[in-house]
Amino acid sequence: MSLNNNRKKHIKFIERHLALLPGSHEAQDVNKMAIVFYAIESLCALEIDTKEIYTKNLGWIHKHYSKISLENDEPIAGFVGSLTMDIAGVNTISLPNTLFALLTLLILDDRAFLTDSIEMGRISSFVSACQLEENGSFMSALNFDSIEASSVDSNDLRFCYIAVTILYLCGSRTINDFSRYIDTEKLVEFISSQKCNVGGFGQYGEPHAGYTSCALSALKLLDSLDRLSEEFIEKSITWLVQRQVSNIGCSKFENENNASYDEFDHGGFQGRENKFADTCYVFWCLNSLQILTPDWQTLCNTSLVRDFLLNRTQNLVTGGFSKNDEDDPDLYHTCLGIASLKLIDESFNGVLCIPKNISSSLES
Amino acid sequence: MSPWISCTLDKDKPDMPFNIEDYKDIEPLPITTGLPDELCEIMYTDNYKQIMGIARALVQKKEYSARALQLTSEVIGMAPAFYTIWNYRYDIVKWQMETHSNVPELLNNELSWLDEITLNNPKNYQIWSYRQSILKIHPSPSFKLELPILQMMIDDDTKNYHVWSYRKWCLLLFQDFSNELSYTDTLIQRDVYNNSAWAHRMFVLKSTAPSGNDINDEINYVKEKIELVPQNISVWTYLRGLYEYFRKDVYDEEIIKFAETFTNNVFDLKTLENLPPVESSYAIEFLSFVYSKNEATQYKSITGYKALSEKYDPVRVGLWDHKIKRIQQGNRAI
Ligand SMILES: [Zn+2]
Repeated sequence: MSLNNNRKKHIKFIERHLALLPGSHEAQDVNKMAIVFYAIESLCALEIDTKEIYTKNLGWIHKHYSKISLENDEPIAGFVGSLTMDIAGVNTISLPNTLFALLTLLILDDRAFLTDSIEMGRISSFVSACQLEENGSFMSALNFDSIEASSVDSNDLRFCYIAVTILYLCGSRTINDFSRYIDTEKLVEFISSQKCNVGGFGQYGEPHAGYTSCALSALKLLDSLDRLSEEFIEKSITWLVQRQVSNIGCSKFENENNASYDEFDHGGFQGRENKFADTCYVFWCLNSLQILTPDWQTLCNTSLVRDFLLNRTQNLVTGGFSKNDEDDPDLYHTCLGIASLKLIDESFNGVLCIPKNISSSLES
Repeated sequence: MSPWISCTLDKDKPDMPFNIEDYKDIEPLPITTGLPDELCEIMYTDNYKQIMGIARALVQKKEYSARALQLTSEVIGMAPAFYTIWNYRYDIVKWQMETHSNVPELLNNELSWLDEITLNNPKNYQIWSYRQSILKIHPSPSFKLELPILQMMIDDDTKNYHVWSYRKWCLLLFQDFSNELSYTDTLIQRDVYNNSAWAHRMFVLKSTAPSGNDINDEINYVKEKIELVPQNISVWTYLRGLYEYFRKDVYDEEIIKFAETFTNNVFDLKTLENLPPVESSYAIEFLSFVYSKNEATQYKSITGYKALSEKYDPVRVGLWDHKIKRIQQGNRAI
């Protein structure tokens, strides 16, 4: 089984999410920009000419760009998740929606926007406003009526990663560039505070593959991986490789008692110890590993990973990927399933979560 | 004060049922949709369009009122990921605090409302950060009042990362760790593979400066659990964590003997042909790590990693080869 055999079905499955959706999708209304990114990025990874097809939708995407005027200063700006959230005079932009929109514009080669230094500066200032003075971490949005980081949001590694990636897309490359907008020292300290004893990153000492990927990607973009000790890197590599689920050797003893073990998860990755394997955690684990070591493909077994994705979580009937072999496929797991396969093929930039042929244009 | 405000502030009936008639005077701010270049167009129901239209108008006007609070509840029910509405709701609550005669009660009602939203949206993470924000402005927050929702949510999904994180945040806020060892014990008895429960236990130990005897008890506790199910990564990680953190990473003869009871003399083998059955690959890995720390025993460590590659955990052959290489280059395995 290969991805190409099923390519047409995957494309149909993905395209459905961009078309007219029934009212039952209302809860997803505010996440539209995420849906647009997952879909267009996946189509691009499947080598669809997304620029050709979706250039006509650029105007609609631009409508999600919102500026917040400040009294004596340049406005700050970012993107909202849906036009439902676009309310004049109210701060509804968020870091995740801004990242999703910028990446989508990059994929669609909408350069006019991404090379406008005034707009990039405004977006970078928005990122700046989301950083918390107390510990250098980020909230994902502002208070609805003031330029302060939100009072009710969470401040975890996801938003640290997203903040750094937005700045990178807006032109920051060196630590000095980043430091024009954010306190990089405090941020790196916050990221370091989320290190876990057994390796990996997470909250209060329990490592989590998703947070690990966010932490390492952010450090990579900040060119600060050297802030991690050799011992911690070795522990993290070990922890990550251990997340590959196996049904041979002693692992098979778990079949009897471990309620979160499934022998058919063989080759997949779990996000934490003693959890089922899941398509999205394949991506978070592999991306983390490839950041830590160039030898990642020999450290874990990528041919078993491919088998897990192609033979277990890929849906051969409807297209798309699900998290396991039970649930229906969904767009998020489809996006990360394809991304994982492309990562193994070395044609994907896992840190930015876009195909390498798109990210290469940023490096020049 | 307008009637709906006094109604919500009336402690006998804190919950005014939602009634669209209460918003008749609001000119709705309709959602933009039906554009020719729109992606992900949703066929909104009339109800959604109506509620969102009113909500958008109220946020824009910054109306602080009981009916505005009520409406945020409706919006959160329909679109729980709409972060701005949470933010708006929080400001309405803070506004209510200014005039309310019993602030603790007002905020406790808010927490009860949140309980219900939480039970309907167990995976939403906004609920926990919102909860933290409410507790932060609560004049007399109580860990006791947090326990029921924590209990319910962990019972429902014993490895829910957000709930465990919230529990640990509460422990730090209230500085009350007294019940946690017995609480995690209950969960570990229910499922010895529950890694979140083990991680929580380690967090509690690190936060409470346990005595040497306490750590001895803890080592005995985890040894019992290893004997119960030797092939369980969580217990071995926990054991190593105890030694690393409280025993300066020094492994005594006793713990080595204990681990060896699961490895069927594999470390003494001269050849790796016909490897015997063992009960736990993690025991072999644990000992291989311990042996790698001392030059005199490093050959045993290499035997262990080779045996893992060969038979006990062959999927990770790349990792075990890498460990052997490290030792041969004069490093510890880690
Ligand atoms: Zn998943």
